[in-house]
Amino acid sequence: MRLLQVNLRSLLLYSLVLLLISIPISFLSIQAILNEEIDESLSLQADQFARHIQSFEYLDDLEMDLRVFDQLSYNIDIKPADRSSSDPIFNTVYLYDELGKETKPFRQLTTTFVVKGKPYALTARTSLVDNHDLVLAIGFVQVIVSILLTAGLLLLNRRLAKRIWKPFYNTLERLRAFELDKNETIPLVESPIIEFNDLNKALSYLTERSRKVYLDQMEFIENASHELQTPIAIFQTKIDALMQSPHLAQPEAETLLELETTAQRMSRLNKNLLLLSKIDNGQFWEKESVDLPAMVQQHADSQKPVAELHGIGILTTLAPLHLNANKTLVEILVTNLFNNAIRYSTRGEDIIVTTQGRTLSVSNKGKQLAISFEKMTERFSKESADPNSTGLGLAIVKKICDSAGYTLAYSFDGMTHTFSITFSD
Amino acid sequence: MKILIIEDEKQLVKSIAAVLRTEGYVCEIAYTAAEAEEKIPIFDYDCILLDINLPDGNGLKILETIKKHNKTDGVIIITARNSLEDKVMGLNLGADDYLAKPFFMPELIARVSAIIRRKRFDGSNKIVFQEISVDLIGKSVSVHGRELDLTKMEYALLIFLLANKNRVVSKNAIAEHLSGDNAELLDKFDFIYSHMKNLKRKLTDAGSEDYIKTVYGLGYKFST
Repeated sequence: MRLLQVNLRSLLLYSLVLLLISIPISFLSIQAILNEEIDESLSLQADQFARHIQSFEYLDDLEMDLRVFDQLSYNIDIKPADRSSSDPIFNTVYLYDELGKETKPFRQLTTTFVVKGKPYALTARTSLVDNHDLVLAIGFVQVIVSILLTAGLLLLNRRLAKRIWKPFYNTLERLRAFELDKNETIPLVESPIIEFNDLNKALSYLTERSRKVYLDQMEFIENASHELQTPIAIFQTKIDALMQSPHLAQPEAETLLELETTAQRMSRLNKNLLLLSKIDNGQFWEKESVDLPAMVQQHADSQKPVAELHGIGILTTLAPLHLNANKTLVEILVTNLFNNAIRYSTRGEDIIVTTQGRTLSVSNKGKQLAISFEKMTERFSKESADPNSTGLGLAIVKKICDSAGYTLAYSFDGMTHTFSITFSD
Repeated sequence: MKILIIEDEKQLVKSIAAVLRTEGYVCEIAYTAAEAEEKIPIFDYDCILLDINLPDGNGLKILETIKKHNKTDGVIIITARNSLEDKVMGLNLGADDYLAKPFFMPELIARVSAIIRRKRFDGSNKIVFQEISVDLIGKSVSVHGRELDLTKMEYALLIFLLANKNRVVSKNAIAEHLSGDNAELLDKFDFIYSHMKNLKRKLTDAGSEDYIKTVYGLGYKFST
């Protein structure tokens, strides 16, 4: 549930409860006010009548007139009373209305007055609004208000969600897309909402700091790799000096060669680590036009002598494919795919290299691999125990593809391993 | 023939200087950029080995000094920073070659002798050793005046060995020289073996003495 919906739900619930409670309260209070007003006007009417009738005391047949009046008037009854005075009584009565043919509520006042020494009871009444109608009217109004309130809140909520929360969702989107090894930070976007501003600032700070730590680490790897090269160089020159010794026995000579091979392997590891960190740092950004088939053919030609030693042939089917890419990186891609294919190819089989559309594929025959494709492209995971393999070749291929937006795919059909790279336009 | 080594790593300098001296070169050493800046205007060197990461400054500045004094010294940049930008910048500033650490000694010797040859003979040059004659411009090899039909690999192999006469050259160094980064491939020694075998056969078939000796367990030696 969205934060704003939680908010809205509470607000709506409160409003509706309030509205429901307000229905009887409004009904009762309106009724009370109406009664009060009507009582006031009834008393006024009765008082005026009583006062008015005094001025007609000179008439002889006033008694008769009062009787006639009683008969004629609908709202006023005048009847001879037993006692001369009593307190005025207000009450509500229900009478049958012949005109409307229904029972209607009336408010009535009963009081007494004296004419020519004779007490009369005066009853004045006024029709009341039907309670039923009143409840209906109030209920109707409240229902309309509830509908408007709910609709308004929902609408407002949606607009608020769209407008006010926009910076929040923007930030969320950028945060989702954020990758530490990409060369971009989350830009600080000013928002009129203090909380979002705080959030953006905190995130900006966090991502910038993570990025800085990451870059520091990359720089450290780079420096460490560089610094290691000099000791390896010294090591290698010393071995070379030992090799010149004229009295080397064969076992010693073999040991020296192994030492040299190991030093070389160390150096190669270093170089590959350096390459990875350079790709991470985006040091290969310059792009130029690359004729991929020509490059592939050149690699195939130069690798053929080595491959042939193992009876491995290299077959190429190359359709024209021009890239706008970093030449160094593409060269590394091609070299590493070739090396990988030759290393893992079954002896006596051919490696097939094709370019088609925007895809470069390198296939070699070989046995099923114990590790998954994902594992394969991790650093230092390798299938063979070959000391010449650094375990970084495919990791570098993957890294280059990721950084340049190329798609690296792998398939195995039981016989043939195929790596293909689809270059983006 | 005089060589100036500008490098702050004393152990490395010691080894390089020792090897170059046995090859018959006179070696001078500068451990800092300041020392190098003092020596360059005063002396003439056939070749300068320049480490561009020096404690007291960027070695690329030294290239500018060399240029400023109109020196024709051949410069080989040696660096642990195997970066393309450094390479391009160094070569643009007038360096003749670029070698990334760590390197094989035979490779350094081959590069130095190539530089010196180029400087000495102004580009047109030949390597002549007894009955073997190599035309570096035409990239052809002849024995007793008769031209040999060598592959690119065999030619490169011969030049490399000729530059390292009487030194044991390890199979690793040869593999790296011949195939560069592809030396990572498996069974590189088989690869060298087949090329070496062919080269030896072609040379002896043409009437040359068999100078290329196998050093068991290690590599080869062109011994005179």
